[in-house]
Amino acid sequence: MNKSEFFKPIEDAVNLIPDSKRTPLPDWDLETIRTTQMPSDTDRDALWDAFKTRFDLVHGKCTEGRADLLSLLKEESVTAGYVAPELKADLKPWLQQSGIEIHTSLDDSQIDTYEFGITRAAGVIAETGTIILKDQSTSSRLGALSPWIHIAVLPDDAPIYPTLFDAMNDLGNDPYIVFATGPSKTADVEGILIEGVHGPGIQICSRMKSRH
Amino acid sequence: MLATDRVTGTQVQLMMTCLCDTFFDSVAQATVEVLEHVGCTVEVPEAQTCCGQPAFNSGDWDSTRKVARHTCRTFDSSKPTILPSGSCSHMISHGYDLAFEKEDDLSTAQTFAKSSWELCDFLVNGLGIESWPGRFDAKISLHRSCHTRGTQTYQSAVKLLSSIEGVELIEFDESEQCCGFGGTFSVAYPNTSVSMGKLKIEKLTADKPDIVGAVDMACMMHLSGIANKQGRQFNKLHVSEILMKALRNAK
Amino acid sequence: MKTKQPIDAFARDLPPEIRESVYVGSKAKYDKRLDSLTQSFAAPDDIRKLAGQIKQHTLENLPEYLGSAIEKLEGNGAKVHYAKTGDDANQIILDIMRSVNATKLIKSKSMVSEEIHLNKFLEKNGCESIESDLGEFIVQLDDDMPSHIVTPIVHKNRKQIANTFEKAGLGDYNDDPQTITRRARSFLRNKYIEAEVGLTGGNFVSAETGRIALVTNEGNARFCISANKTHIALIGIEKVVPRDKDLAVLLNLLARSATGQQLTVYTQFINGPKSEAQPDGPENMHVIFLDNERSNILGSEFKEILRCIRCGACLNVCPIYRQSSGHAYRAVYPGPVGAVLSPLLAGKRYPEYADLPKASSLCGACNEVCPVDIPLPELLLRHRNKAKREGIKKASAGTPSMAGWSVLCSTPAMWKTSLRAGKAMDYISLNLIPVPAVQAWAKERSLPPFRGGKFRKWFKDRQKNK
Ligand code: SF4
Repeated sequence: MNKSEFFKPIEDAVNLIPDSKRTPLPDWDLETIRTTQMPSDTDRDALWDAFKTRFDLVHGKCTEGRADLLSLLKEESVTAGYVAPELKADLKPWLQQSGIEIHTSLDDSQIDTYEFGITRAAGVIAETGTIILKDQSTSSRLGALSPWIHIAVLPDDAPIYPTLFDAMNDLGNDPYIVFATGPSKTADVEGILIEGVHGPGIQICSRMKSRH
Repeated sequence: MLATDRVTGTQVQLMMTCLCDTFFDSVAQATVEVLEHVGCTVEVPEAQTCCGQPAFNSGDWDSTRKVARHTCRTFDSSKPTILPSGSCSHMISHGYDLAFEKEDDLSTAQTFAKSSWELCDFLVNGLGIESWPGRFDAKISLHRSCHTRGTQTYQSAVKLLSSIEGVELIEFDESEQCCGFGGTFSVAYPNTSVSMGKLKIEKLTADKPDIVGAVDMACMMHLSGIANKQGRQFNKLHVSEILMKALRNAK
Repeated sequence: MKTKQPIDAFARDLPPEIRESVYVGSKAKYDKRLDSLTQSFAAPDDIRKLAGQIKQHTLENLPEYLGSAIEKLEGNGAKVHYAKTGDDANQIILDIMRSVNATKLIKSKSMVSEEIHLNKFLEKNGCESIESDLGEFIVQLDDDMPSHIVTPIVHKNRKQIANTFEKAGLGDYNDDPQTITRRARSFLRNKYIEAEVGLTGGNFVSAETGRIALVTNEGNARFCISANKTHIALIGIEKVVPRDKDLAVLLNLLARSATGQQLTVYTQFINGPKSEAQPDGPENMHVIFLDNERSNILGSEFKEILRCIRCGACLNVCPIYRQSSGHAYRAVYPGPVGAVLSPLLAGKRYPEYADLPKASSLCGACNEVCPVDIPLPELLLRHRNKAKREGIKKASAGTPSMAGWSVLCSTPAMWKTSLRAGKAMDYISLNLIPVPAVQAWAKERSLPPFRGGKFRKWFKDRQKNK
């Protein structure tokens, strides 16, 4: 069916509505949807703390710096994982030194061999405890999705948005953006919460100082 | 509806509702006494029957309008009309809008709607009464009565009752849930209706109140009808009866 | 008890354990919703109203907003298709699959695809179509129907699911929810990789940017557009919103209303095929806009139902849904939203579903929780009126006629006579009165003693004595 045939009945339908009964487009701003979870202090460290609190509530885990991350990985006794190419210089050597096998490209047919995936976050949202992944900054969609553990590295230059509203206003024109608020989960079976359905069962956000 | 748009004053008419006309005369009496206590002069127009809700809910809007027109003619829209029922007053203030949507006399119905009040709403928002004198020693669970959603009735009833010395309003689970009456629903869906009622009774009486209170006798008729058949009656009172009893206890 | 209404009969015959599952699940979701809204917002009702206005405004100006969304999507490299009916949509999907020589499709949860019965159609045409949402996957294995729009298997317990998995060859009987989930995870991963086409729905489309917002908790929609080269988004025309920023209002409400979460775990924004540098994801993106009676609804007295964002809150709170379960509604959309929508989506088969709007005590709880403030009770009433005007028996079955009663109520003399005559009711057993409505009342309910006219007399005496 062509577009104009398709549109015709829709146009006819809305033309039936008298002008006096039309609803104007409401104008609203951040204040209108203010939540009690909105951080009041917008200093970067304060925002990070606010993010951590919220992220914790949705069962995410935060780490700061390399040692912290490494001990978390050790706790999970991982042996092999994926590291995004752009983080390779920073992360690969010391992870390998710790005895972990590192891949910097992902083989679709072997997705279960990567126990973790480390990719870059485009930013985080403090209000909701959300990690933002974008195509432009996430080298592989599957690398961030298929391993049991996903580590989103938040570099110093990536924004920490105070609110969902702020993040929404800064989406840019990336064809694919994911807001990840905690690990993958379901409550389909008797309402019981199970984490790690199709995506990561463990979702980590790792704040790291850039090398340069 | 904003209080300011509405017709108020102390020369009032009582619309007793068909249920009080047939079954619950004590509620209508209590309503008169309560209104007189606050200085109202009460008229009871003889020709009154019903608001038309049963037909409206069943989808028969021709019949609804027939009854509604009669009601609009029976009451004088320049004086407030008080109903001891959240449901019937909701019918008049909202249902008429819909039933008369495409009718020439929509504005007549709307004018009448502006003069109609549920009792507690009228006491608090029409007359500005903030508290109720007297005494009534009872633990009460007050059923919300669904048709008071989006109106001032329930909160007005709570305000008045909780100001009475000796009254303890108790909280109960699932207060947002319907009793299952629903007018003709109660006979078209007898199984669902009764199951809902049983659940409601369980919740309302869970904390062993002395009284189950309501702002609507329709819910009450259904609930006590079920309880009665089960042989586990509870004490029930309409808010107007509680208000009246409190006054009597003060004397 | 005897009943003429199929939903009431379904409720009566529902196995108690199913009623219990539905009740427990509904109540939990209701409570979580309320907590999350009241904890987050000072005046949640104002935001519901705002969201309702945004959606209503969009619908009233749908040609412009939909047109703009299409233009943006095309500008971003997506191919847009138009499906007047469900059959058209199915055919478009099949044609797309054939054009890329695909026989395997993986689907994330999409109510629209249920509405058009896509799985069955593709299977008939030699294609595999696999549900990847855990609940929907189980529904598919069982050849069952979802019973809730957000939690499709709320009517099943773990034992039933364990049996299903065992039968489907997904391991020995094990009813541990964790094990069930892990088994589905490993089975479906291979399906994602094997599938050539991923199909998703879309929760919202921004007219401003063409961005499709899509939410899932499990991550299945992410997989559906990461592991294969063709993405089809099947979307009802009513999903458009004016601006990106409006998504913030709706997303804020959707998850809270559906599950009590602040945000759904994965909220995705897709506005075109993958970028060049990205190794994973679709090179082709197709967006199918589906009408399927929606333009008719838009021109009708039921248009507000098109605001619906499919959160399921009206089901969870609905006492009739809680008693009868979703399957009672015989359609893809159950509960209050389904009672309004299903008869309309049925088109010419409206009379078959004309009883659904009767499945309500008109208590208004659904409107109170609806994140886009749809006047559901009003729409149910409009249906009842329509069915009455059109003389549809299925709707009126069991409801006493009001014609005689309305004469009685508009003729005061008759009314007063009946107040006296009604006294007879006290002397005969209600069970003996051969009126079905009286029988339906009296089986499990007594009537209070008849006191017709007592108040009138009391009042007259009182006036005399004053
Ligand atoms: S009608 Fe409202 S409450 Fe019901 S599913 Fe739709 S949006 Fe949710």
